[in-house]
Amino acid sequence: MNWQFFGDLLSGTIMYGVPLLYMTLGAVIEQRAGMVNLGLEGIMLAGASTGFAMSVAAGNPWIGIGMAALAGALLNLIYAYLVVNRKASQLASGMTLMFLGSGISAVIGRPYVGAGIAGLARYQLPGLALVPWVTRTMFSYDLLVYLAVPSALFVWWLLFRTRYGLSLRAVGENPSAAFAAGRRIDLLKYSASIMCGLLGGIAGAHLSIALARTWTEGMTGGRGYIALALVIFSKWHPLKSIFGALLFGGAVTLQLQLQAKGAGISPFLLNMIPYVLTLAVLLIWSGARKYAAPGALGRIYSGED
Amino acid sequence: MEAKRRRQPRKLALLLIGILLGGVVSAQQSSLVIGLLLPGPKNDAGYNQSFYDAVMQVQRNVPGVRVIVAEYVTDAEAESTMETMIRQGAKLIFPCAFAFQYPALAVAARNPSVYFMHPGGWEVKPNFSNFFATTQLHFYIMGVAAGLMTKTNQIGFVAGMPLGYTLGNVNGFHLGARSVNPKVTTRLLFTFSWGDTTKEAAAAQALLNQGCDVITMHLDSPVAVIQTVEAAGAYTIGFMSPEARKYAPKGWITGLAFNWGDYFTESAKAVMNGTWRTGFIRRGLSEGFLQIAPFGSAVPESVRQKVLAVAEDYKAGRIDPFKGPIKDQKGVVRIPAGVVWGNEKMGDFDWLVEGIIGEPK
Repeated sequence: MNWQFFGDLLSGTIMYGVPLLYMTLGAVIEQRAGMVNLGLEGIMLAGASTGFAMSVAAGNPWIGIGMAALAGALLNLIYAYLVVNRKASQLASGMTLMFLGSGISAVIGRPYVGAGIAGLARYQLPGLALVPWVTRTMFSYDLLVYLAVPSALFVWWLLFRTRYGLSLRAVGENPSAAFAAGRRIDLLKYSASIMCGLLGGIAGAHLSIALARTWTEGMTGGRGYIALALVIFSKWHPLKSIFGALLFGGAVTLQLQLQAKGAGISPFLLNMIPYVLTLAVLLIWSGARKYAAPGALGRIYSGED
Repeated sequence: MEAKRRRQPRKLALLLIGILLGGVVSAQQSSLVIGLLLPGPKNDAGYNQSFYDAVMQVQRNVPGVRVIVAEYVTDAEAESTMETMIRQGAKLIFPCAFAFQYPALAVAARNPSVYFMHPGGWEVKPNFSNFFATTQLHFYIMGVAAGLMTKTNQIGFVAGMPLGYTLGNVNGFHLGARSVNPKVTTRLLFTFSWGDTTKEAAAAQALLNQGCDVITMHLDSPVAVIQTVEAAGAYTIGFMSPEARKYAPKGWITGLAFNWGDYFTESAKAVMNGTWRTGFIRRGLSEGFLQIAPFGSAVPESVRQKVLAVAEDYKAGRIDPFKGPIKDQKGVVRIPAGVVWGNEKMGDFDWLVEGIIGEPK
């Protein structure tokens, strides 16, 4: 264990935490508006395949990321329509979205399997080259990584410092009261779903364009579900999700770094750490009012008579 | 479970398309229909592509052969896919996933006039043969290339699951590298999945961080690893399909590639002539099951010649990669002096050779 090891660990943690953070931020917004979405995995997959396909087709990864965000938002509109207009069960709608998203992503990505892309340009943090233990590959990130924490700050500002955010949270806590106060519940919920879709699409595209630089079916590998756990872990708070995402990203990196170093620690055990911590969070804070889920989370608002 | 379930609608659609196409095409005369079942996409520059390219070679070279390909076949649907192919007239079927062995065996029992050739299994029946390449022995040659090319004396191996065959590949690779460069250390990383591309990229990055400058892999598709290594300016050695070299225009050294085309062609002709025979077949470079992929532009002439010379020595029987004394990581002698770890024991490795950093489980 030396500086180099911690540097590598931190560097990898940031890289692999970022897509989780984007997805988690989206899910925080949506859940704050009272909607649990089990279809995050589908949104990420649609983003990953659309992003990769459009990067290849257009020859520009940023066009890919833009289209991925749009694809995520479009897909999540289906979910919003089901739960807002059709008053369908959130659980069933989310599951449907997951299957739909993985099916659609396979169709979109199919012609592009095996295509090569340059990926996103990486920039090293200025000044770090002077630190002796920082190597060439460390702390060199694409723009989406640098934009991740500002995005979390923006979501925090949006939710807690704007009138819109107040309305959104009111819808998630007590839709009847929000309705009585003159808020358009349906529009607010739709806007939350669109933002969730945009961020989820970006998260998926980051995986396929910046990290793996390839598309394979089902490549998100359950990261959409990890984001669901992260929302709970971060107690529905955008800034706390930064730490949650880093912790989950860190577990994967730590496992690989330890293997590469030859430390004989079971990688399966390390993979479990984040979930054990989520369980601990649930056990410790689940009863406390201050940290509870939004009051109307998962409920269907059927309107006022 | 989920990964399998979510592919079902697509699989059904593929089957329907297959049946429709079959209806159209079967009106034509053809003397042999070959069915190919792949667990993944045909153009993965890896495992699946090696078989796909081979059946396409048969179709090009043998008049009257028609090929039906089913991609993304799940274990649960392998049987019904094979039955559909047989209904379309398939007489020779390649169920090209390890887990298709028993589904294929069941179909073979019901269809004694149809021939099955399964890669990597062990079952043999009158109309069901087994074939694969002895990759473990040949990874030695790849190791020679790695040992000569590394400047940091650190080489890396990204693998999916710790199977005996995989450990054998890693052992062979390391022994080859050590044979030309005694200072080499091989770092082995498992992703515990054959296809989590994001994790594969992270694994390659972790190896690069540890100073590895030559990296190879045993995964379904090498693309994520190769691209990560290429972006970092290091070298890669490919495995399974020679097409992987297009992802590393600068850092490609060489690769160990499957070459099933000639064998498939010969088997197809045998079926057509009625001379097909079953068997348990394990072959390598000499018999054309494997080939050494073209060298990349970064490889100096001296290295090319040395690698090819080792390959010739191996083919001529002058080298046996797994000839003792060979010690494991703890220094215990696993293969005593003069003893050779036999061809039939390539899947039995549960230990790693001295000098490899990694866990054999």
